[in-house]
Amino acid sequence: MLMELILIVMFIYAIAILLLSIIALKGPTIGDQVLAIDVLTYISLVLFTLLSIYLKQPLLIVLVIPLALWVYSLDIYIAKYLEHGDLGA
Amino acid sequence: MSGETGIYILMAVVSLISTLAVYMAVVEKDLVKAVIYSALQSGLYTILYFLLLAPDIGLVYIPVAVGLIPGVLLILISKTERWEKE
Amino acid sequence: MISVLETPIILRVIGSALLCLGAFAALVSAIGFHRFKNFYLRLHAATIGSIWGSVYPLVGSAILAITVEELGVYRWFVAGASIVAAFIVLILAPAGSHALARGVHKAKVARVKPCIADKLDPELCG
Repeated sequence: MLMELILIVMFIYAIAILLLSIIALKGPTIGDQVLAIDVLTYISLVLFTLLSIYLKQPLLIVLVIPLALWVYSLDIYIAKYLEHGDLGA
Repeated sequence: MSGETGIYILMAVVSLISTLAVYMAVVEKDLVKAVIYSALQSGLYTILYFLLLAPDIGLVYIPVAVGLIPGVLLILISKTERWEKE
Repeated sequence: MISVLETPIILRVIGSALLCLGAFAALVSAIGFHRFKNFYLRLHAATIGSIWGSVYPLVGSAILAITVEELGVYRWFVAGASIVAAFIVLILAPAGSHALARGVHKAKVARVKPCIADKLDPELCG
């Protein structure tokens, strides 16, 4: 019962990742491409946690925390480049 | 359909989308958009490394490909040119 | 206290409810990115996808992982890492999208297409 529910929720998250990556490939401006990559990464964190419970391998959860931290820096690079023209180096 | 088949189908779909992202990064003339396509490809590769049950390779791949390479490339673009000529 | 946790029904119901809410919110956010017309409206869809689609399901899967007995003693590690990741996403995601919106508006990259008034910079009003 629990494992079937986790399988259905993972399938819905995979469809959401697919729909968001279409915007990241073709979006009209740079801003919504970066926004789609941001949301795509935060959604794939839930996919990783559910897969770690489903496959009974608890050491796979270690990938989740650095991914959440480093994708924030991509936002800041693009924001600093668009606002000032250079990255202040 | 069991869970194993679903994981193989997800691996195939993510590989196809990352190949398309790499092709668009090579053809693109605006270099900032090429950096963003490269970051998208790196994000999809970490999903692949996770599905292949290798968390330590993904843990090393993330700071290099998502955190440092776009930063260094954007400093380089701000000091030279942004639009690639013929 | 531990004898209450031996019946996992209540914890499983709470965890499953939070996971179903997160799945619905992720699907709505992904469809909303296609339907909105300019960049500044897509920030609403990004907030739904980040907070309702990623913070609440991580807390829900932390509660759910405590009841899965096949993981052994490591189920507490899975729950702890999930709660730490939920807290990190709660702090970092709104700050990142706010900085991105400020950068895009200052550089005049995205126009406000169905526009009534833009008082900060009136030439961006499409």
